[in-house]
Amino acid sequence: MTPLLAADPAAAFGQFLLIGLVSGLLYALIALGYTMVYGIVELINFAHGDLFMLGCLLSLEVCLLVGARTQAEAGTAAGVAAVALMLVAAPVFCAALNIAVDRAVYRPLRTAPKLAPLVSAIGVSFVFMGVGLFWKGATDVTFPDLLGPPIPPDAVNAAPPVPANLLEGTGLRFTFKDLMVVLVTIPTMAALTVFVRYTTLGKAMRATAQNPTAAQLMGINVDRVIAATFAIGGALAGVGSVVYSLYFNTVNYQMGFQNGVYAFTAAVLGGIGNIPGAVLGGIVIGVVKTLGGAYIGSEWSEALIFAILVVILIFRPNGLLGARTREKV
Amino acid sequence: MPPLLAVEKLEAGYGPINVLHGISLTVEPGEIVAMIGANGAGKTTTLMCLSGVVKARGGRVVFDGRDLTAEKVPAHQVVRLGLAQSPEGRKIFPRLTVLENLQMGAFTRTDADGVAADVEKAFTMFPILRERQHQAGGLLSGGQQQMLAIARALMSRPKLLLLDEPSLGLAPQIVVQIFDVIRELNRQGMSVLLVEQNARMALKVAHRGYVLETGRVTFSDRAAALLDDPRIRAAYLGE
Ligand SMILES: Nc1ncnc2c1ncn2[C@@H]1O[C@H](COP(=O)(O)OP(=O)(O)OP(=O)(O)O)[C@@H](O)[C@H]1O
Ligand SMILES: [Mg+2]
Repeated sequence: MTPLLAADPAAAFGQFLLIGLVSGLLYALIALGYTMVYGIVELINFAHGDLFMLGCLLSLEVCLLVGARTQAEAGTAAGVAAVALMLVAAPVFCAALNIAVDRAVYRPLRTAPKLAPLVSAIGVSFVFMGVGLFWKGATDVTFPDLLGPPIPPDAVNAAPPVPANLLEGTGLRFTFKDLMVVLVTIPTMAALTVFVRYTTLGKAMRATAQNPTAAQLMGINVDRVIAATFAIGGALAGVGSVVYSLYFNTVNYQMGFQNGVYAFTAAVLGGIGNIPGAVLGGIVIGVVKTLGGAYIGSEWSEALIFAILVVILIFRPNGLLGARTREKV
Repeated sequence: MPPLLAVEKLEAGYGPINVLHGISLTVEPGEIVAMIGANGAGKTTTLMCLSGVVKARGGRVVFDGRDLTAEKVPAHQVVRLGLAQSPEGRKIFPRLTVLENLQMGAFTRTDADGVAADVEKAFTMFPILRERQHQAGGLLSGGQQQMLAIARALMSRPKLLLLDEPSLGLAPQIVVQIFDVIRELNRQGMSVLLVEQNARMALKVAHRGYVLETGRVTFSDRAAALLDDPRIRAAYLGE
């Protein structure tokens, strides 16, 4: 047990819940990419986690390019520029890459048996990992803590300052970084919901997911709608990669696999193909993982996640929100 | 006047199997043309081919002066040329509302005012759709879904309406209502290519008819003449 837990169990529980919620929002962002693509082409895009990984590596590249190499740049012009630039570059990059893969790999297999694109997606996943390995090597790379507290110029060699607690006095700890996750993920998901529900393209996406033949008969260019879906899923992974990298400050070429598995599980848990389901699933996974890690031991948190997945699928085979799928894409 | 639709020696199929072996037919402006035939004769395949969803393997489809086969017009462009379909099995978007289903029918249009006016027309034609406009399409009854499928196809303001088995699985009084609508649409100038299992009803409403057997046209004549033909009566009208 952690020391905090022993000191004040109630506060500790609240704290773990909060951490779980914040990390769950990150999983949700990645889960949306799985669920939207599945909803429209019934493909489990196994490469999605690795697309996220490449987004993280690109974000790192942006930092190096702008000259924001360490926490010393937090709050400086270079640091702010790096964050702003990667919030544009990573989503654009991931969206473009996802469209390209759909065009080159999945579209030619659209009418093939479902196993063909699935196996191809696994192949793309390995290709992406290879690219990541070639790009940044096999070891963990530190991602500059650009949202950490700025280091005063005269204290470069001292221990880094402790980030301020935005919930001081409540017994909970919530830093600027946590706030940033919330401020990026929630509006992104809200925008996605509005887009899918009210715009013409959003409605065309839902129509295509529900009946592709009828969608064609309406004059909807199904290939374009699918490309748009890959673009949006990719962009969400890109946004997620920026937030994740700034939050955890470590990236490597294998990070896509584990986070991809969590996000995919979140999508299935919520009801694959279902947008609010993916968000709910992500939050559940984040909370379970954090609480499990704290109370049972982090070596068990993965086993716990999948145990819960199995139990939920036994009682709700279509996932938590899979049965009433009004907003399924 | 040239025919609105001219199909010449159309061939199509799925995978290694050819289903249509050279279908030829025409639809004149303002006509209702019925296409009847047994299960598996290739009626749905023909309509899907006209809509560009199934690719033609041979022959020509000329619609409103445009050679759809030679120009390789993709499915999503066919509607823009004025050819809309209410497909077999209705294919309503089950989790879109009735209103959204209608809006999808107008996907190719950019005149929001015109679309709103046409939604109003659809509601006047089928008042039940107005009542249910905010309900999911999948919650409608079969007859209501058929009305929605027809209304949705009309939302693109087509020159030619393809109807695939609009009476399938519906109660007799609903079938009568649907056929009344078809007659009324035609009276207002709509050209219709009507595929039906219910050959008697179809031939009664149509001007001309074609009989399809295993991917070939075996009879074609004025509808009244087909209704009188003993061979048709024996094979398709259950006499
Ligand atoms: N998607 C498909 N893949 C393979 N074969 C198909 C497909 N759709 C139809 N067929 C075959 O093509 C032939 C013609 O089918 P089609 O649906 O065009 O007939 P139909 O005249 O509309 O019949 P029905 O009256 O039952 O609707 C049938 O033998 C059918 O099995
Ligand atoms: Mg048919």
